Amino acid sequence: MFRRTRRLALISALAATAVVLSACSGTREQEPSAPTGTPDPDATLNVGLVLEPTNLDIRHTSGAALEQILIDNIYEGLVTRTQQNEIEGRLASDYEVSEDGLTYIFTLNEGIAFHDGTALTSADVVASYETVRTDATVQGNAEFASVASVSAPDATTVQIVLTAPNQNFLFVLTGPAGLVFKKGDTTDLKSAENGTGPFTLTRWNKGSSITFARNDTYWGEPTGVAEVAFQYIPDFTAGVNAALAGDVDVLTAVDPNLAPQLEDSGDFTLTKGRTTDKATLAFNNKKAPLDDVRVREALRLAIDHDALIEAVGAGTPLYGPIPELDPGYEDLSDVVSYDPVKAEELLAEAGQEDLELTLTIPSFYGTTVPKVLISDFKEVGVALEVDSVEFPSWLEDVYTNKDYDLSFVLHVEPRDFGNFADPDYYFGYDNAEVQELYAQAQAEVDPDASAELLAEAARIVSEDHPVDWLYNGETITAVSPVVSGFPEDSINSRINLAGVTVSAEN
Amino acid sequence: MIRYTLVRGVLLIAGLLVSSALIFLTLRVFPGDVAQLIAGTQASPSEVDALREALGLNRPLLAQYTDWIGGIFRGDLGTSLLSGASVGEELLLKAQVTVPLGIMSLVIAILIAVPFGILAALLRGRRGGTALSIGAQALAAVPVVWAGMMLVVVFSVWLGWLPPQGFPRTGWSTPGRAIESLLLPALTIGIVEGAMLMRFVRSATLQAAGQDFVRTAAAKGLTRTRALIQHGIPAVGLSIITVLGLQVAGIIVGSVVIEQLFTLPGIGRMLVADVGTRDLVKVQSELLVLTGFVLVVGFLVDLLHRTIDPRQREAA
Repeated sequence: MFRRTRRLALISALAATAVVLSACSGTREQEPSAPTGTPDPDATLNVGLVLEPTNLDIRHTSGAALEQILIDNIYEGLVTRTQQNEIEGRLASDYEVSEDGLTYIFTLNEGIAFHDGTALTSADVVASYETVRTDATVQGNAEFASVASVSAPDATTVQIVLTAPNQNFLFVLTGPAGLVFKKGDTTDLKSAENGTGPFTLTRWNKGSSITFARNDTYWGEPTGVAEVAFQYIPDFTAGVNAALAGDVDVLTAVDPNLAPQLEDSGDFTLTKGRTTDKATLAFNNKKAPLDDVRVREALRLAIDHDALIEAVGAGTPLYGPIPELDPGYEDLSDVVSYDPVKAEELLAEAGQEDLELTLTIPSFYGTTVPKVLISDFKEVGVALEVDSVEFPSWLEDVYTNKDYDLSFVLHVEPRDFGNFADPDYYFGYDNAEVQELYAQAQAEVDPDASAELLAEAARIVSEDHPVDWLYNGETITAVSPVVSGFPEDSINSRINLAGVTVSAEN
Repeated sequence: MIRYTLVRGVLLIAGLLVSSALIFLTLRVFPGDVAQLIAGTQASPSEVDALREALGLNRPLLAQYTDWIGGIFRGDLGTSLLSGASVGEELLLKAQVTVPLGIMSLVIAILIAVPFGILAALLRGRRGGTALSIGAQALAAVPVVWAGMMLVVVFSVWLGWLPPQGFPRTGWSTPGRAIESLLLPALTIGIVEGAMLMRFVRSATLQAAGQDFVRTAAAKGLTRTRALIQHGIPAVGLSIITVLGLQVAGIIVGSVVIEQLFTLPGIGRMLVADVGTRDLVKVQSELLVLTGFVLVVGFLVDLLHRTIDPRQREAA
């Protein structure tokens, strides 16, 4: 039977008592909200977020909650990524990749210093990257497996040599693995920082807020606001209430069903941003009857994706493993449609007319998706039982022990197609051709040719139906008119605050 | 009395030790661990295991338990596996929210329960008394979450008098704002707990009304009501002290839920978050402190009761 968590019961109760509101319009806000006054350089920007980091040690801890606020604001890497997931220089003023794709040469910008005042040199980069390469407990260690050497020919140059070409390597450097820390630093990174970014950490009140202040000695452009306060409000309704009460200037990750309340208040502009979040309904490919491709295809045919997205309130359809913001994306909607009749035929063919399956889902994903799946599957004679569990239980049962029928989580990492080329990943999907194409794509030096290989592999994956991509997530942000320049896309993994300004309220 | 205190003290310490073992073992039943959570959904099993080793999660349970308890005896509540922060320091920080919240809730509960409870007893058998009793029954049955939501709708959304959630970042350096943000949560717990306490006050008052000394006073020419107020109420106060121990436990449970609802950075929310991240060292210390608090309150209530109540002293 379906167990509802308290908080979700609460949200639905509120939603039920609220006036029935129309869903957000699907158009993307193209123009940023016009500032209402002159930017105030002494302003504090208050941002409401949902997920708080567990600690600040981005080297050892995974999670979007850390990357979102720390990368580009507190810490910087040689390169970074834009909102559209394109790579550009950050600490490096420019970089070159050799013809054979094995040697990367980075030239550092001038005048870079850590927050403790020490100047950054290429030796710090070498030390940071050597740690990633040799320490298995550091984030990105696996991605650094193809690094042969990291060296510093002089104080402003860094050279990295790979054992084999790796199309994804630069992108890896835009993540936690590429961040530069001071050589031999003794700062306790769990609760303090010593980065090079435009902001410094002033205070972390656990369970409540994290505050940044402008770094006045920053090597690049100074930030538009003097202070940023991130307030963590895990309850969606409480977040909306905080915004309506004026406690925050920006609310990220707005619950789509509550968004109209903010829009109707007239105090906020809502933006819909693209993400690489893939709402993944995984099938246990190694477990009968899901090891039968006909059963997996039938389940995909049984799902009315448009209706599901409407129920969720935000998102775009996705029919393959690669979302629009990643290389190798193409529209694969021809692979699978909504066809309950054909689904029933396939199930009959596979001898599975009375199929009973269990969906394991972390409780914080709510009840909307399971409800839609229960009714869609019921249409084709599949009884779905829902097991709502805490996230650590999901990690243990599904991710580690692969003990499940169906599972639902949002896979948020960009460029994570490799999961489908890994037979040991929890999907249990093992296709030699896909693995080969993926390896070729990684080794291909030309980005366009690499993307084509990925697209080819992605089509094969979708045709094998190892999982169903329920939707590609969209993120809704509510921004007060006094704020301008707040990023819209990919903000669940990066909130680059450098260009954000707050105008003085008249 | 001294002997009684000693026996009661030994029982208290034994109770805490048993609790500590229970807490430690119960928490180990949870699936999943902090290493998996830190490593995330792109990590290989070998990476997770390297992390487990580094965090000391692969050590035998008994060693982990004795380390923890040894630390407790030295006054060290341990450090968080995730944040590396001292658990004791963090508890003190969060107590700045939870303790005032608890005290405010308790005061509100008593302010509601005592006058209304006595009134309900005095009006027993009349329409007003029945209405009060039914009202208390209904309020005591209200889920705390729902009560909190209704209060937010009324006082924040409609009237805009009080903040709907959160605690000022400036904390107690801005006492006005701090108290303001605790008012609605305290009111929520206070109303629900107060309704429960009110029913108790009512029955204690009625019981006192039937006591010999009240009847004697009435026989001396006082009206029933006056006799009750002058001689019965002090006896009621005594009974209330006994129940307060239970109330404290109720308020702690209530604050866990309420801190979630109102996003207050208190002990309750920290506890839920730490269970969610499997930061077990931290959770077990937090639970032990809370358990210890409830047990110590019970211990003090017992001693107080014996000291105040003449009948109990004679019995000893």
